[in-house]
Amino acid sequence: MQAQTTRKFGVADPIFEVRNASITFDMDRGESRVMDSVDIDIERGEILGVVGESGSGKSMFASALLDAVVDPGVLTGDITFYPESGEEINLLNKSEREIKQIRWEQIAMVFQGAMSSFNPTMTIGAHFRETLDVHGFDVEEGMEHAEDLLAQLYLEADQIFDSYPHELSGGMQQRSLLALSLVLEPEVLVMDEPTAALDLLMQRSIIELIREIGRERDLTIVFITHDLPLVANLADRLGVLYAFEFVEVGPAYEVLTDSKHPYTRALLNSTPNLDTPREEMKPIEGKSPDPVNVPAGCSYHPRCPLADETCIQMDPEFSTGNGDDDHQAKCHYIDRTRAEIPLNLTEVTHDE
Amino acid sequence: MSSEGEHVVSMTDVEVHFETDSGIFSRDSDVVQAVDGVTLDVEAEDVVALVGESGCGKTTLGKTAIGVQRPTSGSVTYKGQDIWEARDIGGNADIPFDEIRRALQIIHQDPGASLNPNKTVMHTLNVPLRMTNPGMDAFDRRERVHEMLSRVGMEPPEDYANRFPHQLSGGEKQRVALIRALLMNPDLILADEAVSALDVSLRIDMMDLMLELQDQFDTSYLFVSHNLSNASYITGKADGRIGVMYLGELVEVGPIDEVLENPQHPYTKVLMWAAPNLDPDADAQTRSPLRKIDIPDPRNPPTGCRFHTRCPEAREVCKQRPPVTEMDDEGDHRVMCYRALDEHEYWDSPEIEDEADDMPR
Amino acid sequence: MSEDTTTFGSADQKPAGVTRSRKELYRERLDRLLLTPLRVIWSDWRTRIGTLIILLYVFVGTVGVRLVDEPTMQDGPVNASPFEDAAYPLGTNGSGESLLAKLVEATPPMLQMILAGAVFSTVIATALGTISGYKGGLVDTVITTLTDIAMTIPGLPLIIIVLVLFEPKSPYLIGIILAINAWAGLARQIRSQVLELRDKSYVEASRIMNRPLHEIILDDILPNIMPFVLISFVNTARGVIFGSVALFYLGVLPVNFANWGIMLNRAYSSGGALYSWDGLYWIIEPMIAIVLLSFGLVLFSQGTERLFNPRIRARHASSIEETAPMEQ
Repeated sequence: MQAQTTRKFGVADPIFEVRNASITFDMDRGESRVMDSVDIDIERGEILGVVGESGSGKSMFASALLDAVVDPGVLTGDITFYPESGEEINLLNKSEREIKQIRWEQIAMVFQGAMSSFNPTMTIGAHFRETLDVHGFDVEEGMEHAEDLLAQLYLEADQIFDSYPHELSGGMQQRSLLALSLVLEPEVLVMDEPTAALDLLMQRSIIELIREIGRERDLTIVFITHDLPLVANLADRLGVLYAFEFVEVGPAYEVLTDSKHPYTRALLNSTPNLDTPREEMKPIEGKSPDPVNVPAGCSYHPRCPLADETCIQMDPEFSTGNGDDDHQAKCHYIDRTRAEIPLNLTEVTHDE
Repeated sequence: MSSEGEHVVSMTDVEVHFETDSGIFSRDSDVVQAVDGVTLDVEAEDVVALVGESGCGKTTLGKTAIGVQRPTSGSVTYKGQDIWEARDIGGNADIPFDEIRRALQIIHQDPGASLNPNKTVMHTLNVPLRMTNPGMDAFDRRERVHEMLSRVGMEPPEDYANRFPHQLSGGEKQRVALIRALLMNPDLILADEAVSALDVSLRIDMMDLMLELQDQFDTSYLFVSHNLSNASYITGKADGRIGVMYLGELVEVGPIDEVLENPQHPYTKVLMWAAPNLDPDADAQTRSPLRKIDIPDPRNPPTGCRFHTRCPEAREVCKQRPPVTEMDDEGDHRVMCYRALDEHEYWDSPEIEDEADDMPR
Repeated sequence: MSEDTTTFGSADQKPAGVTRSRKELYRERLDRLLLTPLRVIWSDWRTRIGTLIILLYVFVGTVGVRLVDEPTMQDGPVNASPFEDAAYPLGTNGSGESLLAKLVEATPPMLQMILAGAVFSTVIATALGTISGYKGGLVDTVITTLTDIAMTIPGLPLIIIVLVLFEPKSPYLIGIILAINAWAGLARQIRSQVLELRDKSYVEASRIMNRPLHEIILDDILPNIMPFVLISFVNTARGVIFGSVALFYLGVLPVNFANWGIMLNRAYSSGGALYSWDGLYWIIEPMIAIVLLSFGLVLFSQGTERLFNPRIRARHASSIEETAPMEQ
């Protein structure tokens, strides 16, 4: 596709263009749509935070970017990858073999629970060697590079290479996996809850390491999590997922201090935080929808205080609500959300 | 909320040491000092949070408090009665062990594993009712279960009561686990990472519910968590206390707001740095204050103050164990650090030399 | 959350709320304990067919025995072929006895042997495996040692020796002896399952609630090991079938009651069944009887684990609505 497609959300130099991407599963009780006509661009070199609770489809989004949706799920739409050098690649058109080459060499993925990503019968060193070998890289050079990576992550290469996964602590495993994902020098790193099983301190330390490494190596990072505060200080832009689609996308600072979508605002108000006054915290009423049974119209309307007939009938489109192109949300009443749903955090810190 | 009143559970100088076998050919088994010399009380209708990283002993300490883990030394008492003595001597104790056992309950972390997958909600919730009210007939028990389910927002209760755990969401399972614990009419419930497995937006809900029902059932909570934000929310709303643990020691304990405003121990300050902050304007110090990224091996903890290998303020003298200092007259806020003392050789002691694998300061 | 200010009073205070009749309570119980398992069994073709086959044999062994006369010698023509004479639909053997009658006659003792053997071995294995797995410590060591010894003693020679020494007459006793070593393997399996279950959160919760040991075993442990237990039950049953047939055929077991194995023996030795097409029926008929029963048991066992799977039970229970079941 050589035609200039409309850039989304003010992204100037996209490394990923996702258009109308959907993932469906055929289940006994109906068709399960775990990703619903998603459109988004990812800027080269940025850190994009994708925030969604369980049942929002965030892991499916990660799988889609690597064309790694589990059977019998079906991925449709257009996902175009623009590597630094070379032709643009339409991921869905590629054969399984071609995709395998792209995965890990150009687009790497780090899952939650490092333990299950490793082969328990192989040492960490063997994992590195195998990865380098299978992708046709020079193993000697690669291992040296791996040593550098490990050192940057405060791991001793000698000790790590000889260890089996179960011999390492959770934090060490996750950092080893991070190094493994970077050894082939990919351009993009997709991380799905990489710190979920870890302690507070290790989580924070790893976030800092990711930030450093990302900057050094000009990586594009997609960081997917349910924990909004975790990614708040790391991400350049934030995308909020609800009911299997993005409901708000924009620069991180704006999304956190001046969110436009009712769900984002409610989510911020219900997230425990050291600084927010406790009396102001409010849980979100209701439950996230079942993928087989997403509400018609705006998928958030059953839980939204602003919902009315329009919301029940019509699915809203992205709009800017008198702001910049780069910050948009899917809400009919985007202009009213600020007034109707006050943010408890900003009230405190940005008060006159 | 209550610094007077009878202690529901009182732990004095509790130590829990585990022996781990390192294999057939090990010469001697390693000893993990999971909990080392902790003194802590829980009052009636109190909320006490225990925070720390994994391996710090908070879960072990929690289980010791509810009489599930026997300490290798030190004492645990329930309303004055030594729990393990009651177990050993049987009928002659002032408070029999059976009564103690029922008064101390638990809510587990993983909602998926905390309920019997083969039994309906009704069956699971009937168990505590049968134990505490043997006179109740099946019909009345049914009504009571429905009432509790309604109370926690699971409507219609008849429908939920007949479900199996796999038909409930994570939040719903946790609520059932909460009801189960409360129906025992306990004096203390150990909430072992009870909200950690829930979605972020559901946690406030669950914690609010726990506090609401605390009044009704007259119980205390020991809230174990590695997440400081959650712990601060629930203790804050209940005017409770927070205890910070590191490698088996209680390094700081005090009323939540005081500790947050005026943290004394360097480790507490590090935890606060690590707690993710929603406010992007906040002064985000990105460099880790720790000198080493990994926790030391609990089988071989550092000598003296266990935090000295990673502490940004460590000095040579820290290689000896610091005393516990009271920060105020009521004895509510205690710290185990030399820095709490105005006059001590600590202030003259040289800083510890940086090692090769230390993080840059 | 509801704004109720209900006070939680003592047990004799009937709380306000929706009252349902006792009749509904009992109907729910009936559905849960009886009807739902039946529905589950019926829903899968394997358990359905397996159950029907087993029921057929039970019918033959209980009612059928009264319907068909006992075989008597010289009753009919000797070596008559099957499907020719209405009075002897399956033909006769060398002594003029109706083969149908002989097959039917052998069924009750076979069922008794199976029942005794399988029940004995399964109950012992479950009890020992559960106790040693749950209790641990010295009890565990002792039981495990016993189990190991039992496993290493060669089964067949032991059975033959015991049978020859004691010459039991009752089919129940024979059944038990035939299964004498079958319990060891299952006990081991159950022990390892119980070890895992013992540390699960919900079992710990039961202990913390001070539930008595027998309740914990019945409620929390057993339902989760039932699939093993049932499959092992069926396997032991099959072992008893084939073991008894083999030992009767070899002549080790006393011939004081009918057995398909004896029929095989006679068909082979005096009927020349393997040498001519004419005599073949005599050996095939008992073979079918043996194989069909075994097959029925296998089919049934393949589906039994579904009985203990709460997801499947929930699907078939009429008392649970299908409102948003969250398949995690």
